[in-house]
Amino acid sequence: MSNAGTAAIPQPRIPSYVHQVLRETFARWGARFGLVWIGVLLVAAVFAPFIATSHPLLLSSDGHISSPALASLTATDVTLLVLFLTGATLVLVRMSARSKLMIFVITLVLTSILSHLMISPPQLTIYEQYREQEAQGRYQWVIHAPIPYSPQDYLRDKGDTGLEPPLGNPARRHWFGTEENGADVLSRMIHASRIALGIGFVATGIGMFIGVIIGGLMGFFSGNVDIFGMRLVEIFEAIPTLFLLLTFVAFFGRSLYIMMVIIGITGWTGYARYIRAEFLRLREQDFVQAATACGLPLYSILFRHMLPNGIAPILVAASFGVASAILAEATLSFLGLGLVGEPSWGQMLNQAVQSSSFNWWMAAFPGGAIFLTVFAYNLIGEALRDSIDPYLKK
Amino acid sequence: MLLKVEHLKTYLRSAGKTVEAVDDVTFHIGEGETFCLVGESGSGKSITALSIMQLLPAGISSHPAGSIYLKQPRGAHDPAGYIDTLTLPERKLRTIRGSRIAMIFQEPMTSLNPVFTIGDQIIEALQLHNPDMGYAEARERTIHALTQVRIPNAARRVDDYPHHLSGGQRQRVMIAMAMACEPDLLIADEPTTALDVTVQKEILNLMQDLQARNHMGILFITHDFGVVCQIGHRLAVMHRGKIVESGTLMEVLKQPKHTYTKQLLASLPQNLKRRQQRQQHRVQTPPVPGEPWDSKSDDAAQALVDLRQLRVYFPVKRGLLHRTVDHIKAVDGVDVQISQGQILALVGESGCGKTTLGRAILRLIEPTAGDIFFSGTNITQIKRSAMRPYRRRMQIIFQDPMSSLNPRLSIATTLTEPMAVHGIGDSQEERLEIARQTLRQVQLEPRYLWRYPHEFSGGQRQRIGIARALVLNPRFIVCDEVTSSLDVSVQAEILQMLLQLRRSRQLTLLFITHDIGVVEYISDETAVMYRGRIVERGATAQICGNPHHEYTQTLLSAVPRIMM
Repeated sequence: MSNAGTAAIPQPRIPSYVHQVLRETFARWGARFGLVWIGVLLVAAVFAPFIATSHPLLLSSDGHISSPALASLTATDVTLLVLFLTGATLVLVRMSARSKLMIFVITLVLTSILSHLMISPPQLTIYEQYREQEAQGRYQWVIHAPIPYSPQDYLRDKGDTGLEPPLGNPARRHWFGTEENGADVLSRMIHASRIALGIGFVATGIGMFIGVIIGGLMGFFSGNVDIFGMRLVEIFEAIPTLFLLLTFVAFFGRSLYIMMVIIGITGWTGYARYIRAEFLRLREQDFVQAATACGLPLYSILFRHMLPNGIAPILVAASFGVASAILAEATLSFLGLGLVGEPSWGQMLNQAVQSSSFNWWMAAFPGGAIFLTVFAYNLIGEALRDSIDPYLKK
Repeated sequence: MLLKVEHLKTYLRSAGKTVEAVDDVTFHIGEGETFCLVGESGSGKSITALSIMQLLPAGISSHPAGSIYLKQPRGAHDPAGYIDTLTLPERKLRTIRGSRIAMIFQEPMTSLNPVFTIGDQIIEALQLHNPDMGYAEARERTIHALTQVRIPNAARRVDDYPHHLSGGQRQRVMIAMAMACEPDLLIADEPTTALDVTVQKEILNLMQDLQARNHMGILFITHDFGVVCQIGHRLAVMHRGKIVESGTLMEVLKQPKHTYTKQLLASLPQNLKRRQQRQQHRVQTPPVPGEPWDSKSDDAAQALVDLRQLRVYFPVKRGLLHRTVDHIKAVDGVDVQISQGQILALVGESGCGKTTLGRAILRLIEPTAGDIFFSGTNITQIKRSAMRPYRRRMQIIFQDPMSSLNPRLSIATTLTEPMAVHGIGDSQEERLEIARQTLRQVQLEPRYLWRYPHEFSGGQRQRIGIARALVLNPRFIVCDEVTSSLDVSVQAEILQMLLQLRRSRQLTLLFITHDIGVVEYISDETAVMYRGRIVERGATAQICGNPHHEYTQTLLSAVPRIMM
C-alpha cells in the first residue's frame, strides 16, 4: 500500500497488535530461551554440511585450490541455504508481510526445482581419501570443518572406532563420542536436527492449512456445513496416528515426506475446532457484517477480515503441535521404523538401547536434544498463550 | 446526614500512569434522600461509588486524601458518631457492605450467579449478615422481599434460576437482594441503562416506593437527565473527576451556572430540537417539486425502499435431528415504504425485531418471506453476485463503535477496500483521496488514515463507521442505534452531522433507535415496532404528540421527560 503524501507528516504510531504480542511473548524468559534454542537448531540444520563434514572446507593441492565441501553439497543443502538467506534478508527489509511471503514461496519453488535439476553431487563418497592424501602430504594446506566427521563417515581407515565415550581417544576428538559403527555422534545429531525441525514445521503447516480452511468454512457457514465438518473432525480424531504411521511405513517404505503428510492430515482437527469457534464468534461481529454489507468477496471476508482476528489461538496450538510432531517422529525412529541411512534423534536413541552395554552418551545427547526442543516449543507456546490471553496478564 | 464524602480523591494506577479518577469530591446524602451523580463516561462517577463501597482493588487504587463518613447505625452506643470507611479494616468493612450499604449494578444479565437459584443468592446474603437467622425465616424474608419488588408469584419463583427471568425481573431481584438486609444507603450505578423505557419506569417507581417505606438514602448514578428528573432530589454534575456543580434538581436544571452543565443540557436531543425545526423550515419553504428530500412529491410507487409483508423467522431446533419445533417471529409481516430523501425512525423496545428488520433489508439476515424492493427492483431472492451492485447503494452503520471496525486493518484499508471491489476510483491514490475527503466530511483529520481503530475514541470510531458507509456513495443507509453507546455531547455532534450529510448527499435513512428524544430531533416520519410488527406509523410530530395505538401511548408515557 502506498502512503505517498502522508510521508511528510510524522506519525506517532501505537505499536500494532502483532508487535505488542511478540514483544510481550519474548519478554518472558522461557520464550527467550526457547527462541534461542530453536535458533541454534536452525543454524545447525542449515549449515550442517559446513559444520560437520569430513570434506575439507578448503584445500590447496599442487597450487590448485578447491573446496570438496562445496562440491559435495546436495540439492537439499543448496535449497535450505538459499531459503535461509532469503528469509534472513526479508526479515531485515521493510516490506508488507504479504509480499514477503510471496517472495519466500517463489524462492522456495524456484531453488528447489533448479537445484534438483542442476546439482548432482558425486554418487560415491570416499571420506578416507582426504585423510590419506593429507597424511601423504599431497596438500599444501587444508581447512577442516569444526567437526571434521560426516555423519556417515564410519572412520574405516582408523580401525575399530565403535562406541568410544566422549573425548575417549586423544588422537581423535569426538565431543559426544562415537556410535556402534564408529561415526561421530555430534555430527549425526547436527544432521538429524534437519529432520526434527523439518517434520515439526511441515507437518504442523499441513495440519494448520487444512484445519484453517475446514474450520473456517464450518464456522462461517455453520448449519449443514458445520454438521458435516464436525463429523469429519470426529472421524479423523478417531484415527490413531502412530498406528497409521506404522502401517504406512510397513507398506510404502520409509519416507520422511509420507510421515510429514500423515502427521499433518491426522493433526488438523484441533486447529479446525479452534478456528471454527473463533469464526462462529467473529461472524456475528459488526465489522464482519459491515464487510458483507460492503459487498466484499467471500475470500476477503474469510481471510482478510476474520482470520487475522481469530488466528491467535491457532498459533499457540501450533507451537505445541510442532513439539508433538517431533515426538511422533522420534517415537517411530525409536521403534526402528524411521529413515534408513539418514540419522535421526529417535533412531540414535534406538541404537543406544540395542547395544549390550549402557553407553550413556548415546542416550543422553539425542535424548537431551529431543527434550530441549520439545521443551522450547512448549515454552514459546505457553508464553504466546499468556500474552494473547487478557485474563492471564499481569 | 447519612453519608458525608469530604474532599475524596481516588487515584488509579495503570501501566505506570496515575489517573486522578476522583479529584476532590465533596457531597452528602441525607436519610430518605435521592442524590444523583450525573456525568459522561469516564467522569469518575462509578469510581466514586466503588470508593464508598471500598470495592476497588487495593493494588491499583489509592486514596491520597479525603474521608467517607457513614453514620453509625441506630442501635449503636454512639448514635451521633460517624465511621470513616476509608480507614476501616477489611473485616469490619464486610459487615457494612450488604447490610448497611448495598449496591445495584448496571448489567442485570451478569450480576446474578447463573448456577444458583435467585432464592439461594438472597438467602445467603441474609444469613451472612444475620447469623442467627434460620433457613426457614430467611426464606420467608426472601419471598417477602421478592414480593416487595413485585415479582409475580414470588413463593414459586424463589426457586427459579436467573436465566428464567427477563432483564427487568433480574434487576428487580438485584434490588430485592440489596433491600433484603434493609440497608441505610443504596448505591445504584446506572441501574436502568440496560433496560427498556417501560421497564425503566417500573424500576424507578419501585425504588421510590421502597425508599418511602424504608427511609433509606439512595446514591443514584446515571448519565440520563430524564431519569434524574424522575427520581432525584438533589444532583451533582461530575466532569473529569470533579463535581462542577451541585444543588437541588430545580436549581441545576433551571439555572445551570457552570459552562459544562450548560453544554451538557444543550446537547440533549430535546434541546437540539428547536434548531432542527428551523432548518426544516428553511429547507421546505418553498417546496420544490422533485427535490429528493421533499417527501410529499414522492408517492409510494417511487419509494426507494419498499418492504412488502417482510417476515424473518428464526427456527427453534430441538432434539437429536435438529427438528424445527417452533419459530421465533422476529419480523412478522412488515410493510414499510421509505421514500427518497426521507428519514424514517424505527422505534421499539429491545427484542421487538427492529435490528433484525434493518439487517434483513440489506440481506445480512435472509428474510423468510415477503419482498424487498429497492428503487423498484425486487432484491429478495437475487444471488450473492447479483446483489453486489446493490450493496454499493445501501449501507449500514452499527451501534457498537468498538466492534464495528476490524481491529487489524488500518483506516485506509477499511475505507479503500470496498471502493476497490466496487470499482470506485481508478488507482489506489484516487481512492485514498476519496477516503481523505470523506474523513473531512465526517469531521476527522485525513492523516488518521494510517491509524488503527484502537487509537480512536468511541465517537471517532462511530465517525469512521459513517465514513465507511459513505465512501461507496450510497443512497440508503440503515443507522442501527448509532448513538446509543455514545455520550450526549458526542451524540449531538453525530446527529447534527447526519442531518447535514443527508442534505449534502441526499441520503435516505432508516434510523433505528429506542430513544424518543433522538427520534423527535432527527426524523421526518416514525414507525413504532412491537413484537415484529409495525403498530403505528406517521409523521414524527404527530406520533409523538398524539399517539393512537395503545402500545405507542405506553411507550411515550414511560419516557422520562425533563421538566424545564
